[in-house]
Amino acid sequence: MSLFRFELRKLLLNKKTLLLLACLFVLYSVVGLTSTMFLIGGSDSYRAYEESAAGWEGPIDSEKAAEAEKIYQEVSARYGTDERMISRSVKDQPETILAVNYHAYAEQVEDYWNGTPPESAEEPYGIALLQGKIAELESQGKQDTYDYRELSATLERLEELGEPEFANALLWENLFNNWGEHMMQFLLFVPLTFVIAPVFAVERSSGMDNLILSSRNGRRKIVTAKLLSVLAASTVVAALYLAATFLFGFLPHGSFHGWDAAIQSIPTYARSMFPWKVWQLAAVGAVWLIFTGAVYSLIVCFISSRLKSQIGTAGVSLAILFVNVGLAAMGDTVTQRLGALVDFGLANVTLMKEVFGGYKGFNVFGMCVSYPVMAVFVLGILAAIVVLGIYQGQKSRTYA
Amino acid sequence: MELQLEAVTKNYKSNQVLKGISLTMGAGVYGLLGPNGAGKTTLIRILADVLRPTNGRVLYDGKDIRAVGDEYRAKIGYLPQDVSFYGDFTGRDYLEYSAALKGMEKARAKKRIEELACSVGLWNDLKRKCAAYSGGMQRRLGIAQALLDDPEILILDEPTSGLDPYERIKFRNIISAYAKDRLVLLSTHIVSDVEHIAAQIMMMEYGDIQHIHTGGEYVQMMEGRVWLGSMPAEELVDYQNRAVISNVKAKDGRMEIRIIEDTQPVPGAVQTVPTLEDAYLYLFNYLPGKAGR
Repeated sequence: MSLFRFELRKLLLNKKTLLLLACLFVLYSVVGLTSTMFLIGGSDSYRAYEESAAGWEGPIDSEKAAEAEKIYQEVSARYGTDERMISRSVKDQPETILAVNYHAYAEQVEDYWNGTPPESAEEPYGIALLQGKIAELESQGKQDTYDYRELSATLERLEELGEPEFANALLWENLFNNWGEHMMQFLLFVPLTFVIAPVFAVERSSGMDNLILSSRNGRRKIVTAKLLSVLAASTVVAALYLAATFLFGFLPHGSFHGWDAAIQSIPTYARSMFPWKVWQLAAVGAVWLIFTGAVYSLIVCFISSRLKSQIGTAGVSLAILFVNVGLAAMGDTVTQRLGALVDFGLANVTLMKEVFGGYKGFNVFGMCVSYPVMAVFVLGILAAIVVLGIYQGQKSRTYA
Repeated sequence: MELQLEAVTKNYKSNQVLKGISLTMGAGVYGLLGPNGAGKTTLIRILADVLRPTNGRVLYDGKDIRAVGDEYRAKIGYLPQDVSFYGDFTGRDYLEYSAALKGMEKARAKKRIEELACSVGLWNDLKRKCAAYSGGMQRRLGIAQALLDDPEILILDEPTSGLDPYERIKFRNIISAYAKDRLVLLSTHIVSDVEHIAAQIMMMEYGDIQHIHTGGEYVQMMEGRVWLGSMPAEELVDYQNRAVISNVKAKDGRMEIRIIEDTQPVPGAVQTVPTLEDAYLYLFNYLPGKAGR
């Protein structure tokens, strides 16, 4: 008989958890629905936007850019420059939304060619800036340095990607916001904590430890069964989040328009170095969320194997999550000082916009390794340590 | 098959719960008797490999059980003092889960579950939630779980607590029938649980096994030390603070008392046939002054 089947039942397929999952699905559906409704008014407004945007899609057009700039100036004079404020204020005016978005796109094109100002603390971006920096290093004879290799590689990729084009990917942008903003960590990771927390702690609180620890499969195979059930449970919860926000993000407007646009047409991913289409990013983002959810669940599982109570497990896990979120939310000077701790902390590494939205590289023995690759490596190592720790802990555990 | 303890000690901080126990057990039923706090459960847990000794080791056929690991645990059936259940498990779920933990094949597990459910009288209740079981039913389910994989070594901690007299007798019969060629260790503070079925009875107190004898040897040891006497009820109140009394019964306006004493305790007292319970009281010197231990 399969231990996995029982472990999955204890963790996921029981009345309480199924009820929780049903509530979560409703919550996630509401999140998907409200986010898309706040983005743009009813389906008529969206239809109007889609029709208007069709004429604006493609490479930059200076006349349209000038027209968009004019409308944007009027809007910002009335509502201020805060993007969210503007979005909320003009959500029933498709033409204005289009102009505001085109204005942002025009800035993005400018950014592509001229990039960050030289004095900026951000990593260098933009054709002209990169060419300038590379020329500077060449004049200093530093062609054999990591910086030179990184800048050259970035420039090469940027040239390959080409100048961004305008596309209507409004609903996809909304989806990626739902999948890649801090709100996701609260909506997905907090419930996940409570689903996973009992995995080991329940044996102690129920007194079943006695039976498990004295049995043939109670030291190793049960850990395998529990780990598999944790991975299955975290995948189910993450899939629920992904499916509900996807379904109810698109359903009100009945359109997937923009699915084959380049991801650089979405402002959050404008600086991404990945030559992906929107649908590809959606697939990668979904896998990423499931993957990071699984790693986080393994961490919760490890804590559960060390503590006696489910509440204690949930408390410690959430404390770790919130400390990470807190660190990532600190100002630039703090986050730059903390470096890898923030880059590979749960707050940043679980957000697809952080991992896939930029062009960050890491110097690994002189090689430039991209953020996603490093993130997979670091999370993989972390998961392996956690899994080994759980096996080792169960092997030597005694009834207490 | 042999189970051997070599100078096993267990400390909880500064409190030494087991004090260097050395013991060898082969096939047969062993009773472990002792008052609460004697260290029986700690010893049982060490034998069940859910607790590690502070010093010393447990050997199974000459090999340290920690080294034998899974294979040792595959040979034991363990009924803990407190049987616990998952809230939404039925009796059948619980036994199937136990079978999975023991690594039993599905078909064999199914057959054994049906056999044992009949043996312990739970056949009609297997579909009910464990949480709805009475204390006695939960205990019987625990016994079925311990016997599930035909263990070579059966370790039972207070197996009959919560059972009614009929269930207790039935349990004893199951264990007696089961014990052939196997090692059964039965820890209890209820003397009658082991009196009729244990080949060897170990008396444990203060973290050490003080005596190991057969039931007959214990009874023989008590020959001439158990007395029947009588006295007025008002005298008994004072007297019972000074003597080990195993039974009191009102008879013809006086109190008939069963006294454990080396010499004639009261005028007119006559010797009577001793029991294992008398030996238990005698060896642990159950004077009221020690009652608070």
